[in-house]
Amino acid sequence: MTPMKWFYGFLREYKWRMTAGMALVTVLVAAALTNPYISGLIVDEVVKKKDLAMLPLLIGLLIGTVVVKGICRFFSQVLFETSSQGVLYQMRDTVYRKLLQEDFAFYNKNRTGDLMSRQTGDMDAVRHFVAYVIYIVYENVLYFILAIVMIFIINQKLAVSMILILPVTAWVTYNQSRRVKPVFLNCRQAFSSLNTFVQENISGNRVVKAFAKENYEMEKFQAENDNYRDAELNAAAVWKKYVPIFEFLSNLLTILLMLVGGKLTIDGEMTLGQLVMANGYLWMLNMPLRMAGWWINDIQRFTASIEKIYGTYCAEPDIKRPENPVKRKRLEGDVAFRHVSYRAEDEDILQDINFHAKKGERIGIIGTTGAGKSTLIHLLCRFFDATEGDVLVDGINVKDLDMYELRENIGIAMQDVFLFSDTIEGNIAYGRPDCSFEEVKEAAKMADANLFIKNLPEGYDTIVGERGVGLSGGQKQRISLARALVKKPSILILDDTTSAVDMETESYIQRQLDNIGHSCTTFIIAYRISSIKNADQILVMDKGQIIERGTHQELLEKDGYYATVYYHQYPMAVRKGGETDE
Amino acid sequence: MSRNRYDMDEILEDKFDMDQLKRLARYLHPYRKQMVLVLALMLSSSALVMLIPKLFQLEMDVYIPAGDMKSIFLLCGLAIGIVLYSVVCLRIKISYTTRIGQSIIHQLRRDLFAHLQELPFSYYDDRPHGKIQVRVVNYVNNLSDLLSNGILNTITDLCNLVFILLFMFSMNTRLTLICLCGLPVLVLYIVLLKRRQRYAWQVQSNKQSNLNAYIAESINGIRVTQAFVREKKNVAIFNSLSMSYRKAWLRACYYNFLMSPMVDLISTITISFIYVIGVSYILDGNLSDVSVGVLISFTVYIGRFWAPINTIAGFYNSVLTAVSYLERIFETIDEPVKVKDAPDAIEMPEIKGDVRFEKVSFGYEEGIPILKEIDFHVTPGQSIAIVGPTGAGKTTIVNLLSRFYDVDEGKVLIDGIDISRVTLHSLRSQMGVMMQDSFIFSGTIMDNIRYGNKEATEEEVIRAARTVRAHDFIMQMEEGYYTQVNERGSRLSAGQRQLISFARALLNDPAVLILDEATSSIDTETEVLLQQGLNRLLQGRTSFIIAHRLSTIKNADRILYVADGDILEEGSHEELLEKKGHYYELYMSQYEF
Repeated sequence: MTPMKWFYGFLREYKWRMTAGMALVTVLVAAALTNPYISGLIVDEVVKKKDLAMLPLLIGLLIGTVVVKGICRFFSQVLFETSSQGVLYQMRDTVYRKLLQEDFAFYNKNRTGDLMSRQTGDMDAVRHFVAYVIYIVYENVLYFILAIVMIFIINQKLAVSMILILPVTAWVTYNQSRRVKPVFLNCRQAFSSLNTFVQENISGNRVVKAFAKENYEMEKFQAENDNYRDAELNAAAVWKKYVPIFEFLSNLLTILLMLVGGKLTIDGEMTLGQLVMANGYLWMLNMPLRMAGWWINDIQRFTASIEKIYGTYCAEPDIKRPENPVKRKRLEGDVAFRHVSYRAEDEDILQDINFHAKKGERIGIIGTTGAGKSTLIHLLCRFFDATEGDVLVDGINVKDLDMYELRENIGIAMQDVFLFSDTIEGNIAYGRPDCSFEEVKEAAKMADANLFIKNLPEGYDTIVGERGVGLSGGQKQRISLARALVKKPSILILDDTTSAVDMETESYIQRQLDNIGHSCTTFIIAYRISSIKNADQILVMDKGQIIERGTHQELLEKDGYYATVYYHQYPMAVRKGGETDE
Repeated sequence: MSRNRYDMDEILEDKFDMDQLKRLARYLHPYRKQMVLVLALMLSSSALVMLIPKLFQLEMDVYIPAGDMKSIFLLCGLAIGIVLYSVVCLRIKISYTTRIGQSIIHQLRRDLFAHLQELPFSYYDDRPHGKIQVRVVNYVNNLSDLLSNGILNTITDLCNLVFILLFMFSMNTRLTLICLCGLPVLVLYIVLLKRRQRYAWQVQSNKQSNLNAYIAESINGIRVTQAFVREKKNVAIFNSLSMSYRKAWLRACYYNFLMSPMVDLISTITISFIYVIGVSYILDGNLSDVSVGVLISFTVYIGRFWAPINTIAGFYNSVLTAVSYLERIFETIDEPVKVKDAPDAIEMPEIKGDVRFEKVSFGYEEGIPILKEIDFHVTPGQSIAIVGPTGAGKTTIVNLLSRFYDVDEGKVLIDGIDISRVTLHSLRSQMGVMMQDSFIFSGTIMDNIRYGNKEATEEEVIRAARTVRAHDFIMQMEEGYYTQVNERGSRLSAGQRQLISFARALLNDPAVLILDEATSSIDTETEVLLQQGLNRLLQGRTSFIIAHRLSTIKNADRILYVADGDILEEGSHEELLEKKGHYYELYMSQYEF
C-alpha cells in the first residue's frame, strides 16, 4: 500500500459528496461564462440600440446568474470542506487508534512532539488539500479546457499555437513537483523537531527553572527556530524559481494572441470580432497558469505530510494480539515464569527467570537499581514479550490470552506515576470509568488517600495538573494505587509505589491490602524491606537474575544480599552470627 | 483560577481588539523599508502589466486594420519586456515576502518562548501542556502568510482600488457615486456578520487547543492507558473532541464562505443599477455627460473596482481567523510573571550557605495555607533532613528556598540576604536541586548530566556520575555516556533516572544542595555507597534532604519534623529519639512487624 492509496481509502467515503461539489463547480463555471455574455447582450441590445424593452429581462438574468453562482460557490465550498473534515476526522481516528495499540518499544523510539506533529500540522496539510486544492484545481482546469475549446471553435490555428505551451507547462510542473517535495519534507522535519523541543521544554519546565537554564533553553530554541525558518526559506529558494515561470507562461498566452491572432487577422483567416472574442476568453487561460505554481506547492506539501502520517500509521507493534485468544473474563491470578529471558538492544535485561506465584500470594521483589524488576512485571502485562521462555497466567501463556482481558485483570501502580489533567475522581476511576463514586472512595480509603483528598478545596473534583503536578510525590503514588485498586484486579502490581510515602502510611496501606476482600495475587517491588517483609515469597534480583528467594526469615538466615540490605536499613536489629556490616 | 483540562474551553475575550493588530504591526516595523520596496516593485509591475491590454487595443485599433505586421512584432516585443520585468519583480517579491513572513513568526515565536521561560510553575501546572505547545508552534505558523503576502497584496489591491476610483471619477462623477452606494451595504453586511464570525473562530481555536491537549496527554500517558485497558473509552473521548473541532471549524468556515458570494451579488446589483440609470440618462438626452461609450467602458471599470474588494474581503476573513490565534499568543505573552527579579535586584554573591526562614507563610491557593509562620536557621555546611507525613509541606519548603514561589508572608534569607532581592539566575545557579520527578531530556546521558553546567568536562561528568554510583550502569550501556535516552527516559529504570538527575544536580558544584526524594527508587546498597561519596561532597555545603528512608535521614546534622505546615520537632537523630515524640514514633514504626 502506498500513502496515496491509503489516503484514497479515506477520500472514497466522500466521493459522492465531492462529485456533487464538482457538479456545482461546473454549474458555477457555466454561470461565470454566461455572465459576460449577458453583459454583452445588454450593451448590444439595450445600450447601443437605446431600447429598454429587453433590459428588465437581461438584468434579471444577470442577477440570476450571480445568485446561481453564489449559491454554487457557497455549497460547493461547504461540500468540499465537509468532505475534508470527514476525511480528517476518520484519519485522526485511525491514527489515534493505531497510536493506542503501539507498544512500549514504539514509544521509546518516537518522540512525543513528532507524534503530535502528525496529528496537527500534517493533518492540516491534508485538510487544505481536500477542502481547497482539489476543487480549485478542478475549477481552473475546467476554465482552461473550456477556453481552449472556445478558441478552437473560433480559430483552430490560434488554438493550436496556444496549446503548444502546454508541453512546456507540463515540463515545468514535473520539475517543480520533483524538486519541491524533498524540501517540503525538510520543512516537515524541522517543524516536527521544533515541536518536540518545545514539548520537552514545557514538560521539563521544573528542571529548566531549577537549574536556571532559561538562557540555555533559549539558545537551543533559537537553533530549532532558525532551523525551521531556514527550512522554509530553503524551500522558497527552490519554488521561487518556478512560480514566476508560470506567471511568464500565463502572460505569454496574451502575447501569443497578439502575435498569432494579429497575423491571422491580417491574413484574413479570422475577423477582428473573432479576435476580440478570443481575447474575452484569455483570462480563463491566464488565471490557471498563473496560479499553477502555487498549487503544485500545496500538492507537494500535502504529499510530504501524508507520507509522514502514513509512516507513523504503518509502524506495526511487535506485541500482537493472538488471532484466536483464550477467553478468560476473570483470571484466577496464578502466575508462573518459566525460563524467561528478555533481551533488548543487545542487552540482557532478564535471564532465565523462574518462579511460581500461587493465587492470592504476595510476592515481594527487591534488588539493585536497574536489575530488571520493572521489566519482569512488564512482561507479565505484556508490554513486552519474553525473548525466551513462557510467562503463564492460570497456566496459559500470556501470548495466547486476549491482551485486553489480561490487562483488565491486572491492576498496576507504576513507578513513574502519570496522572491525567482530570479530576481526582476521574483519575482514580481511569480503569473503570463507569464505577460508582462509592467504589472510588473505597479504593482511595484503602490507599490512604481519602483523607488528603477530602481536605483539598474541591475534594474529589479537584483537577490535578498533567502528571499530577501540584500533588506531592506520596500523594500521587497513593492516587495511582487507588487507581489500580478500583479495578478489583486478580493480579495487583505495586511497582515502587510507596517509596515517597512515609512509614506509617505504608504500614496502614499494607494492612488494607491484607483485607482486600477478594483473592488477589500481589507483586510488590520495593527498596524498603518494610514494604515486602510480609510477602509469601521474596525474590531478590540483581543484573537480570533472581539471586535469592524465600520468605523474610529464610532470607535473613541465608545471610546474603537481602540480609545485608536489611541490616543497613535496620541498624538497630541484631544480626545473627554477630557480624556487623558497617 | 481553577485548573484547565482538555475538555474545558479557555475563556474568550469578547471584544475585537484593534490593539492586537497594532501590536502585530510592531513586528512588521523593522521590515517597513523592505515592504515599501516590494510594494513599489509590485505597483510598478502591475501598472505595466495593465498596459498590455492597452497595447492589444492599439494593435486592434491601428495596426491590424493597417496590416502592419512589423509594428505588431514591435508591440509583442514590448509586451515581452513588460512580462519579463513583472516576472523578475515577482521573484524578488517572493524572496522578500517569505523572508519577512518567516522572520516575523520567528520573532513572535521567540518572544513567546522567552516569556514562557519566565512563567512560574503554576502556569504550567494550571493547564494541559498541549495547550501551551499549540500556541508556540501551530498558532504562530498560521500567521506567516497573512503577515507577508496578505498585507502586501491588500495594499496593492487598495492602491488599485484608488487608482480605478480616480479613473472612474474622471469619467463620470455621478455614475461613480452610484457605484459607491454598494459599499455601505457591504460594510453593513460585514458588521452584522462580524460578531458571530469572530466568535465562531474563537470557538474553533479553543476546540483545536482542546484536541491538541488530549493528543499530547494520550501520548504521554500511553502506558497507563494500556495498562488500564482504557483504549476504547479514550477513542470515544478523542472522537468527541475531534467532532467538536470539526463542527466548530465548519461553522467558522461557513461564515467565511458567505463573504465572496455577497460581494459578487452587491457588485452585480450596482452594475445593474448603472445600466438602468445610464440607459435612462442616455434616453433622456438632457444629461450629455453619459454617452454610450462612457457607459460601456464604465461598466468594465466597475468590474475591476469590485475584484480587489473581493480579495480584500478575503483578507478580512483571514484577519478574523488570525486574530483568534493572535489573542491566544498575546494572552500568553501578557501572562504576568509572578516570580521575577525585582527592578533593583542584585546579583547573589557567592553563597556561603547560611539559610534562615523568618515567619514564612505560604499557600499555593488563597485560603489554603500550606506553611504557617515557619522559622528555622541553618548555619553554613549543615545538612538538614526534612521528614514528616506526605503532603505536610516538605517540598514546599525547599521550593521556597529556590524561589520557585514567592512567600506570602515572612522572609527567606540566604547569607542574610532576602532572596527576593537577588536575581533568580544568580540564586538558582548556585543551588543544586534534585526533584521528586526526575525529568530526562532526550539526548545523550552526557548531555543530561551536563545540563546544569555546560562547560563541565567529560572528567567532571564522570566524577559526578561516580559519586552517585551511576558510572557502572552507564558504562554497561551500549554507548556508555553517549547512549541516547529520551524524554521519559524509558530505556532507564526509575532508579537510574534518579541517579542521573542526582549527578546533574551535583555537577553544578552547588553551594546549597536540595535533594527531594533523591534516592527513593535506589537500592539500599547503592544508596549506602552513594551516601559515603555524598558525605565527602557535602562537607562544607548546606544541604536539605527530604526522604522517607530513615537510613538516609539519620546522618543529617539536624532533622526537621514537619506536619500540618509547621515544624513540630527539631534536632539531631539522637536528640529526637530521646524526645520520644513524632520522630521517635516514625522511627520505631519501621520496626513494628
